[in-house]
Amino acid sequence: MRTLVIETATEACSIALFEDDALLGSDHRVFGRGHAEHLVPMISDLPGKGRAERICVSLGPGSFTGSRIGIAAARSLGIAWRSEVFGFPTLALVAANARTEGKRQAVAVAMNGGHGEWFVQSFDESGLPRAAHCSRTSDDAVAVMADELVAGTKASALIEARGYGTALEAHPDARLFDLLPPSLLTENLAPLYGRAPDAKVPA
Amino acid sequence: MGIVLGIESSCDETAAALVTTDRTILAQHIASQDEAHAPYGGVVPEIAARAHAERLAPMIEAVLADAGMSLDECDAIAATAGPGLIGGVMVGLVSAKALAMASGKPLMALNHLEGHALSPRLADASVEFPYLLLLVSGGHCQILSVEGVGKYRRLATTIDDALGEAFDKTAKILGLGFPGGPAVERLAREGDAAAVPLPRPLKGSAEPHFSFAGLKSAVLRAKESGEHRDADIAASFQQAAIDCILDRLAKAIGSAPPADTLVVAGGVASNAAIRGALETFATNRGMRFTAPPPALCTDNAAMIAWAGCERLALGHSDPLDIAARPRWPLDPDAESVRGAGVKA
Repeated sequence: MRTLVIETATEACSIALFEDDALLGSDHRVFGRGHAEHLVPMISDLPGKGRAERICVSLGPGSFTGSRIGIAAARSLGIAWRSEVFGFPTLALVAANARTEGKRQAVAVAMNGGHGEWFVQSFDESGLPRAAHCSRTSDDAVAVMADELVAGTKASALIEARGYGTALEAHPDARLFDLLPPSLLTENLAPLYGRAPDAKVPA
Repeated sequence: MGIVLGIESSCDETAAALVTTDRTILAQHIASQDEAHAPYGGVVPEIAARAHAERLAPMIEAVLADAGMSLDECDAIAATAGPGLIGGVMVGLVSAKALAMASGKPLMALNHLEGHALSPRLADASVEFPYLLLLVSGGHCQILSVEGVGKYRRLATTIDDALGEAFDKTAKILGLGFPGGPAVERLAREGDAAAVPLPRPLKGSAEPHFSFAGLKSAVLRAKESGEHRDADIAASFQQAAIDCILDRLAKAIGSAPPADTLVVAGGVASNAAIRGALETFATNRGMRFTAPPPALCTDNAAMIAWAGCERLALGHSDPLDIAARPRWPLDPDAESVRGAGVKA
């Protein structure tokens, strides 16, 4: 089965096209802003314009806007191609960095979360979450996340502050999709925002 | 005949529609977010963006189902690309890009204001260019000479609040909730429009621009004085707004290219008192007056699909890497007006 993977929840804009486990094409760029301009042309440059029977999209947490862009594109492609569309948690794709080249390691993921906070979550050796993701201050994250191995855009910062362990500095990468546990795919395409909107109801 | 799918997500209405080049609305859906924003007294951009992301895709499927069509039967995909709240605009525009790329159809990345400006031609086939347009909504208050598709000359704009904004703020002052336009209009029917002395900002000034901030402040003072009934304040405010509009229009007509039709569009154009006053104004000047039905005045996707139809007929399309524009004046050559800011 052909699968298109879309990941736009962070500074990275990452896509991959698989035929079963074989990678047919991919693109992975890190540019902060610009997902809304670049994503669809990037997909269009894939073999067969990226057309697939199944579309899997990163739901966040990450950038609110970025998550929405990926999901909006995935759902629209699903309408046009009559494809199945599934979502997966972004931090689980970052955790896949702990299982490349046949390795099986538990890992904590620490990503830039906005407002100075980090999105953190701990994963076991098979890539399944050991707890729900949450947004923490950097001090709290350093105090709580005890895994030896830490992956994500705040991995080095966490390891440096904590004083031990190994950092895998990484953005989520659609090319690692085949390392994601299939049980993490969901038909619920609601973004995982990780934080409520900043607006407060006036007193 | 061509068919265009239109998508609108620039403020607090999520909408999708299918419109033909011969002016038939095959299907349209619109979902208001009023309830989500009401506790905040105005539109919260992040809450709006979240609602658009949740609702738009099922809505696109629903309009296709209503029309009994597949996407392959559309001739173009049109979406609002600005101006507006950027988070919501991006949801609509990226959805349209993906639909266009996947179906091999042209993309139309449209100015939301162009949708309003051309909507009279969807409602009435006899409206021909050029026409004089009063565009009044929650975010905009302009007088434009509409000379053709993509050819708009701005004659006037507001230097502070948009007219719809003034209605919403008046509603807030009077405790009528959000959105306030229809509530102020209803209350005004029970009031005396001459009871409360309120200013007519910029009335008689040489340039045809608008200002409503002072009127809003006067409404606040009138309310705080405790001397007036709310219905009288609402009626007097609405009359002051009408007097300003008519004075500014008369001034703008003097500087506009000749046009025999006056059109009003935008959300405030659904106000019956304003429509009535404009009709009398036009008749007295020997002009024809037309206004789209209220459902096409407030934000909707049929007007975006129609603007797409107009551009399809001219062979226009946009590239898939086009950027959303939070600010996007219809007339890029219009001189900046002191204080006008984003509403220019």
